[in-house]
Amino acid sequence: MLRLSALRIAQSVPVLLLVATFAFVLMHLLPGDPAVVIAGPDASAEAIDRLRHQLGLDRPILVQLGTWLGHLVQGDFGQSLMLNQSVLSAVVDRLPVTLSLALFAFLITIPVGVALGMLAACNRNTWIDSAVMGVALVGVSIPSFWIAIVSVILFSVELRWLPSSGYAPLTEGLGPWLQSMIQPAVILALFQIGYLARMTRSSMLDVLDQDYIRTARAKGLNAWSTIGKHAFRNALMSVVTVSGIILSLLIGGSVVIEQVFALPGIGRLVVQGIMARDYPLVQGTMLLLGFAFVLVNIAVDLIYTLVDPRVRYD
Amino acid sequence: MIATTKFRKWVGAAAVAMACSTMASTAVLAEPQKGGVLRYANQSGPGTLDPYVSSSAVELEIIHHLYDSLVAVGEEYETRPMIAKSIDMADEGKTYTFKLRTDVKFHDGTPLTSADAVASFERYRKISPNAVIFNDVASVEAPDPETFVVKLNKTNAVFVDILKSPVYPFVILPASQKDKPARGIDNIGTGPYKLGEWAKDSHLVLQRFDGYARNPAYQGKGTDGYAGDRVALLDEVRYRFIPEANGRVAALQAGDVDVAQSIPPDLAKRFDGNPNIVVQTVFPYCMQVFVVNSSQGPTANPKIRQAINAVVDAEEISEATGSVAKPNHSLVYSFSPYYQGDAMKGYYSQANPEKAKKLLKEAGYKGETITLQSTSNYPNFRSAILVLSEMMKAAGMNVKVDIVDWTTNASNMQRGTGTWNVSTTSFCSNPLLGPQQWRTMLYTFPQVKNDKVMDDAYDKFYTSLDEKDRKTAWDAIEKRVLEQAYMIKIADVGVVNAYNKKVEGLKPFTLIRYWNVGFAK
Repeated sequence: MLRLSALRIAQSVPVLLLVATFAFVLMHLLPGDPAVVIAGPDASAEAIDRLRHQLGLDRPILVQLGTWLGHLVQGDFGQSLMLNQSVLSAVVDRLPVTLSLALFAFLITIPVGVALGMLAACNRNTWIDSAVMGVALVGVSIPSFWIAIVSVILFSVELRWLPSSGYAPLTEGLGPWLQSMIQPAVILALFQIGYLARMTRSSMLDVLDQDYIRTARAKGLNAWSTIGKHAFRNALMSVVTVSGIILSLLIGGSVVIEQVFALPGIGRLVVQGIMARDYPLVQGTMLLLGFAFVLVNIAVDLIYTLVDPRVRYD
Repeated sequence: MIATTKFRKWVGAAAVAMACSTMASTAVLAEPQKGGVLRYANQSGPGTLDPYVSSSAVELEIIHHLYDSLVAVGEEYETRPMIAKSIDMADEGKTYTFKLRTDVKFHDGTPLTSADAVASFERYRKISPNAVIFNDVASVEAPDPETFVVKLNKTNAVFVDILKSPVYPFVILPASQKDKPARGIDNIGTGPYKLGEWAKDSHLVLQRFDGYARNPAYQGKGTDGYAGDRVALLDEVRYRFIPEANGRVAALQAGDVDVAQSIPPDLAKRFDGNPNIVVQTVFPYCMQVFVVNSSQGPTANPKIRQAINAVVDAEEISEATGSVAKPNHSLVYSFSPYYQGDAMKGYYSQANPEKAKKLLKEAGYKGETITLQSTSNYPNFRSAILVLSEMMKAAGMNVKVDIVDWTTNASNMQRGTGTWNVSTTSFCSNPLLGPQQWRTMLYTFPQVKNDKVMDDAYDKFYTSLDEKDRKTAWDAIEKRVLEQAYMIKIADVGVVNAYNKKVEGLKPFTLIRYWNVGFAK
């Protein structure tokens, strides 16, 4: 398995190179000059030009790309223009927030989404099915920022159960951390729960129509064993695939939630970086996020072998 | 022949008391107690706290708590000595001698001397985007620890007024910071608060600096701009960076913070009927103008610019922006010494499409596209441009609206890039501070080049030792800007802040100040 992981990581190098180049090109295609943003409104044209020179922005674009890729190879992600800090350390500082938000939301999404999907599938075409799918539809349809605002008014302003915004790191204790994260994590999870419930329901329905399920029922197995052991195990492949996608989406979706709940995570960092045209910061963060997605996909591939013994990569 | 004129001198309490007469009436109304931790919801966190490269409000607000300037602004943006205790102008405005206070200490306990002022000057000149203000400085000297002398190459009657600028403020840093790169200083100041914990994007803590030396000239006279008697009563001010206005409102309503900054007027209505929350409007905060590109396309023709000015109905545009706005025809505020009453009123809010049509005809306008550029980042800017586009169409102009992100929009205005003809923005500190701080904006944004009338008037402004002559020069400058429609005034706008009623001493000002502020007894 270790060999396989190493091989997959090595295979991801060209993908990451493409991500790096795309990130670079996309950022430089955006109009707007980082030197103007950094220098501020009162700066003279000479001061702006001097800053552009200091930042190396006056060099040909291919030279800039070559320099950046050259530094990347040495593990140097560059220096953020707006933070005066290395990109890697800026991302590492904010990683616990985004990662804990995404993982917390993930831990809510998987059991709830799977349970709702199974419940709907097992009660196909009943009011339970309609109700669950209705809730799922609402979950995927309502924008998360709107739910967030309504939720804050209800749980923070009116009921005063939860803080309205902000992040309490785990070092302050599990209680404060949970309090600060539960609201954003649940809201972030809502969309994915709807998505996962619909996927689980449809793959369960496929499996429940199979002959071996009919056989299991015919030989007198109880409903729990039939559904839990035979049907769900076989439906799990698509659930695992979707879960991998969901984890990636949760990391991406945290941009909006971090903004609304003032969580100092990577999503907020990227938004600020784009506004300030902080090329190294946005490029570096995009590359690191790309690497995270690659890792998630590798993890999904490895989990396949555990879920389905028929899957082998050697 | 060099005549030495002691033109302006601030010495001792008498002069300062006179200068501070406007603030005396507002001083010491409430008596907040010492101690406590104030929690404050601010829009975003600072990128840097290096004063010499800081121009954004979020950075400056914190910087003015951490540092003292050589010269600062008063409550109505007048010039006030702060670390300087007296200022002598000599040699026909070419030599300025600053006597420094001897009681000032840095946060690390070392006393401030003129060597620190010289080192600060040298660092400012090297790294600040605003270093242009020292272009005419021939030399700086520290003949003794209390004296800082600046010699200029040519007369600059408003040199001290330039030094007061709270944007890229010329605060005094310890000499040890002289060679630190831009954004690389240790944040050691002489202000009433010192920097505590700072987690970028999350929070920042200001802690009371118990070794702060109150300026003896202002003691007991209360808050006065960034000068005055600056007493830190609170143990700590905890900044929380909450980018969403909804989030700031909710945090204040839920009691998670004590003060929330920059609340959109619509959202401020959520505080209606809440007896614990005080809504405070800071006015004027900025002035919103249309910027007309005088260097390209149809708007290079002054008559077409004047035609655009003729269609503007400022009241209707202000209403559409949803801002807290008041009409004002001038490019300065009514309390400014440069305000000239109704003299410029004729250029303002003419709402006269017929006049515009006539001007277009005279200009030989043949339906060339006029591009109005704005941004969706600031809905008030976008609304103003959309309403203007309809007014221009009604007068027969061929208008194209181009909505881009703010960085692009601002960059285009500052550098003259892109194909825009008209855009809009708000200027905040510049019009408050006076013509010397307005100058760059008035030239750069509308891309004014080779305008002899303006150049000559500014030249006169800088070299006139008599304030009356400077006012005359400003009149000529403002008339030129409005007549040529380089900028078209829309309105003065305010900003709304809100706080819990247990907080006392918060006085409306462009940026929030936490000295002389505390909790009710």
